[in-house]
Amino acid sequence: MNGIGRRTLLQATAAAGLVRLTSPFIISARGDSPVRIGMVDPLTGAYAAPARNEVMGAQLAVARLNAKGGVLGRQVELLVEDSANDVGTGVQKARKLIERDNVSFMIGDVNSAIAQAIAQVTNEKGLLQIVSGGHTDPITGTDCKWNVYRVCNTTRMEANSVCDVLFKKYGPKWHFITPDYAFGHTLQSAIEANLKTLGGTVTGAELTPLGTSDFSAYLIKARSANPNVIILLVQGQDMVNCLKQIVQFGINKQIPVAGTQQELESLEALPPEARIGNWMFEWYWNQPDVPHLAEFVADIRKVNGGKVPTARHWFGFTSVMSFALAAAQANSIDSLKLAHALSDLELPPEVKLQPNKVFYRGGDHQLMLSAFVGEARAHGPQDPEDLFKVDRVVAGSDIAPPVADTGCTLHWPA
Amino acid sequence: MSAGGRTRLPVLLAIWAALLAAPFWLPLIGGYTALGTRVLVLGLAAMSLNFLLGFTGVLSFGHAAWFGLGAYGAGLSLKFLAASTPLALLFGTLLGGVLGAALGALIVHRRGIYFAMVTIAFGQVFYYIAYRWNSLTGGDDGLRGFARQPIALGPWHIDILNSGLAFYYFVLFCFALAVGAMALLLRSPFGGTLLAIRENERRARFLGIPVELHVWIAFALSCLFISFAGGLYALLNNFADPNNLHYSLSGDLVIMAVMGGMRNFWGPLLGAAVFVVLQDYVSSLTTNWMSFIGLLFVLVVLFFPRGLLGVARGKSAA
Repeated sequence: MNGIGRRTLLQATAAAGLVRLTSPFIISARGDSPVRIGMVDPLTGAYAAPARNEVMGAQLAVARLNAKGGVLGRQVELLVEDSANDVGTGVQKARKLIERDNVSFMIGDVNSAIAQAIAQVTNEKGLLQIVSGGHTDPITGTDCKWNVYRVCNTTRMEANSVCDVLFKKYGPKWHFITPDYAFGHTLQSAIEANLKTLGGTVTGAELTPLGTSDFSAYLIKARSANPNVIILLVQGQDMVNCLKQIVQFGINKQIPVAGTQQELESLEALPPEARIGNWMFEWYWNQPDVPHLAEFVADIRKVNGGKVPTARHWFGFTSVMSFALAAAQANSIDSLKLAHALSDLELPPEVKLQPNKVFYRGGDHQLMLSAFVGEARAHGPQDPEDLFKVDRVVAGSDIAPPVADTGCTLHWPA
Repeated sequence: MSAGGRTRLPVLLAIWAALLAAPFWLPLIGGYTALGTRVLVLGLAAMSLNFLLGFTGVLSFGHAAWFGLGAYGAGLSLKFLAASTPLALLFGTLLGGVLGAALGALIVHRRGIYFAMVTIAFGQVFYYIAYRWNSLTGGDDGLRGFARQPIALGPWHIDILNSGLAFYYFVLFCFALAVGAMALLLRSPFGGTLLAIRENERRARFLGIPVELHVWIAFALSCLFISFAGGLYALLNNFADPNNLHYSLSGDLVIMAVMGGMRNFWGPLLGAAVFVVLQDYVSSLTTNWMSFIGLLFVLVVLFFPRGLLGVARGKSAA
């Protein structure tokens, strides 16, 4: 039993060989290498569709930047990692991008909880991050950080943009179908605050786990509460499943459904009869008289199988473009200088692609983007993808609560 | 079959040398230090599970519960009790260990599939507690807002927070302590009794061995070790979330143990290394990385039923 046997040697060699085989072979060249941008998004799971579109938008921005000579004369490289819609995986991937790949800038995530968790990692490492698609308030509110900016709306902005419309149209008694995590909780409380000032009441709220496929029990409960309107706050695949089942059960014939944030990804995944309700879009591809918009739509159509860009494409695109704009202004890719440069930075027309002034508010690092309030429709009149009728476009600075009300106090490093 | 999975000295030296030098050879093959730390932590977790699975012969499918409790214990201690890393580890270990020992007393009266089912059930209880208790655990968003603290050791001040290298060696030190304790236990007469139970429970009972008591002690010890690993995991990510308690993680740990070789003391560490590295590497290339893990698992079970490390030893002893 003593001494190294042939078997032992074999098994040790096999083990060593296996570790080598499965290890990534990365050539680690530094110096005048490309500027690396890390992007963590849930490419699998309930938010796969919006996440993929964010990545596509970011890739378009990178291609455009590289065609014009990159950022500060260096080419840009986008490294995408799948957070699998799981917070722990997202954190692990963010650490991997920072520690192994030495990214200079981080984008992510669609899922609010993951976005917040990644923000903790980037803050620990002192790296600039733009939250591309997580809406929960604390990211640019009570939990705001010097290195974290956000492109998409806060839940308060979403609620403020659409609540009065819904109240006038449907009445005072609302029932919620809310996803049970950070985003859903803050969105519901933001709407409740709006509803209270308008004089309405809440008949109840169904908290549904992320990734629910069967909403029947929640919908039956919501119907029996007899509200004026059922407010859907679920997103992504959950929104699709929920709306489909509402139409199947014929609930929409008795009680109208509506909500705040709606996305083109969801409407397109629905059968025409389920494209119903009043909502807000965070960005829309079909706007009259907006410069550079047609070019953006055409570019995305080329890489998106002929389909138009969604708000998510624009988020990914704008996240990368903001980094380039800040780098040009700061003449550096040092995170601290970039973060200072982004403060109160206004997006130029070729990036903002919408009316109104769009800028990163210095006080809480929130982008003041427009809200597109309107109604879903079964078929597009001219284009089959024109599934949303925009009634009004509200400037972000009109719906965002003042910085003092967000609870954000930024602590800059000395 | 070597009793208690005793590993020969040169092999042992090689394993420890590789672990000690890991931060230096990992970057050469495209790894990074934090990946090594992750392998150590999950390896320790899989070895703790294997203490029960491979050396006592009972399969727990809910061990993630104790792992997650260790993680939450460490996180809550850092967040609410005191900014001390050793205290956090102690608190996490005790939270998982004590609860595991208490509930283990109920579980050990079942065997086989019933044992596995009951462990899943208890595991899911803790998962849903963590998932629903928003005010304390942060619910689905996970527990944030804590960070591992530098360790003051007499005149030395070890900054495990900002230095990934220092943290790796800190984890390796903890790993060595736990693994050493595990090996000593398995070498003791107690360890021999566990093997006897594994090989033939009825015969062990006829020999007058109090089987339930021994299985319970093994279960409690296994919980203690795995919650220690869970505490280290929380320190690694500065974060804990309900998926640390979910039965799918229990399944991953079983896969690591079986893939590496559950009759071998070091097998689960190899299994964890393969699992973690493969996940890290393949998930950057494709979103379908789980298929590759599944495929590898199927291949291992089909062609190396004793696991990657178990194959050679199993043949020589058979």
